[in-house]
Amino acid sequence: MSGAAVSTATRPIALPRPRRRRDAPTQIALAGLVIAIGLAAAFPLAWMALSSLKTPSETMQTPPVWWPATPSLDAYSKVANVIEAGRSFLNSAIIASAATLGILVTSLMAGYAFAKHQFRGRDALFAVIVATMFLPPIVTLIPLYRMVGSLGLDGSLLGVILPNLANAFGIFLMRQFIAGVPNELIEAARIDGASELRIVFGIVAPNVLPAIATLAIFAFCYHWNSYLWPLTILQGNGDAYPIVLSLSRLLSYNRGAMNTNLVMAGATLAVLPPLLLFIALQRAFISSIIQSGLNG
Amino acid sequence: MSRVMIRSGAFLLPRIALLAPGVGLIAAFMFAPILLTVWLSFHAWSTQTPFSAARFVGLANFADLFGPTSVGRDFRGAFANTALYAILSIALILPLSAALGVLIHQSRAIGRNALRAVLFSTYMVPSIAVALVWSKLYSPTEGPYDQMLAWLGLPTSDWLSSPNTALVSLVLLNVWQQTGYFTVLAVAGLTQIPTTVYEAATLDGANRWQAFGHVTLPLLRRTLLFSSVIALINAVQVFEPVALITQGGPVGATNVLTYHIRRVGVERAQGGLGSAMAVMLLLTLIATVAVLFAAARERRGP
Repeated sequence: MSGAAVSTATRPIALPRPRRRRDAPTQIALAGLVIAIGLAAAFPLAWMALSSLKTPSETMQTPPVWWPATPSLDAYSKVANVIEAGRSFLNSAIIASAATLGILVTSLMAGYAFAKHQFRGRDALFAVIVATMFLPPIVTLIPLYRMVGSLGLDGSLLGVILPNLANAFGIFLMRQFIAGVPNELIEAARIDGASELRIVFGIVAPNVLPAIATLAIFAFCYHWNSYLWPLTILQGNGDAYPIVLSLSRLLSYNRGAMNTNLVMAGATLAVLPPLLLFIALQRAFISSIIQSGLNG
Repeated sequence: MSRVMIRSGAFLLPRIALLAPGVGLIAAFMFAPILLTVWLSFHAWSTQTPFSAARFVGLANFADLFGPTSVGRDFRGAFANTALYAILSIALILPLSAALGVLIHQSRAIGRNALRAVLFSTYMVPSIAVALVWSKLYSPTEGPYDQMLAWLGLPTSDWLSSPNTALVSLVLLNVWQQTGYFTVLAVAGLTQIPTTVYEAATLDGANRWQAFGHVTLPLLRRTLLFSSVIALINAVQVFEPVALITQGGPVGATNVLTYHIRRVGVERAQGGLGSAMAVMLLLTLIATVAVLFAAARERRGP
């Protein structure tokens, strides 16, 4: 999977010979640079995790305390009561999983039709769908709010999920990868009398597993993290709040109080699921993005 | 390939069944609301009422946006803030991601893949958590950034609490969160440049910097064009840190379009006016992207 990225990355550029002598110092300088950039990039999230282990007074001191004197998990047990963290987590998991599953199924089907069927207007329709990938959500927010409201779905999880199922990126990604599945496989299945649906999920899907994994991670993280739409459609119904909305509530609870460690514990909890998912599968994920032709 | 593809006419029903869910959802929740936004922009309409209650007012909403009242001033302020935020973000993210892409792709430094993962990971975490953390990092009293500046003997900053620095502080947050994604896109672009091109350049006597300027950058143009379009679209969407921390302040310095349009169109229920703002945003984006593509095509010419 990650072969493409790794093998090309290690491919050396033909350098004039005399430069070889500078290799060792250059290597050390480069390694230093890599470490410095990595530390700068990781610092904010590390600060978040460290702050969640501090005492309330440690988080409020000037100059700031970098390392908690006695790291404590108190904030995590407290935050669960303040924002009903369990319920918010469940809501986030339902929203992200349902959206991911729906997007996977519809994108596989439509992506297959766009890749392997020929019909009038196919390329024009595909182009219009791809164009919606570039649409900032705010452009559709106002009528969407009314539309979902008139379906009676405002304040509900279904109201959060339903519009999220419209996903052009998934169709685009699946079409790109399914185009590479050999036609002979599909022809053979047709001769055996398999239906088109059976071909999509039985023959095509197993051949594009890396793309499916990529879309699943992307969709799950995107909908776990998404804030604008749930904030708009849930309209203060705290029972349906995903964790990112409960976090903002935690901040208003915290305003003026010495509870920064609570806020940081909540933020850490919200960050962990997408971060762990990404770290576990990042090699496959990143090289899929590189191969998808997403770079133009 | 098309030899074994199914011709149109055959498999009509299965094809409709395959396309209907995905395309139907996009039609219902993308195409329809875009058309409604355009339609509503010519109407006076409260977001709390059905669409049928909308009253046609011609170009009155747009006249308000360009007019002398506070409606126009606030909108133009938000528009200018968003433009500045987008330009600064692109100006920082693009060169930075290209440089990091070269570092990750071309060098043989150890830890390159780990660096790539660390950089990208910031793109995958919730912006709301990121906004919370950065509000603390920027704190002039308990925040580590001012302390680090003091260590280096540099002047400290008021970051988010001063109208002069608030928007730039949000740009820096954005650069931190998104550069990793664009670095991966840059690596993808670099991967497609054949080694033979570099070998030819070296044979012609080009050094490393000349090879970068005359080989890498021109061949990376498509990637950089695509990246600038995505960075622009992403920048227009900035919402979480504004909604959570600054609420558009201090004194309107961080009032950006996504925040402003939602406040007008949803919170104040002025759906027609908010839709007119959304239409202006959409038209500006289309025009900007068209100009970017035209500029890129021009430079490719002889």
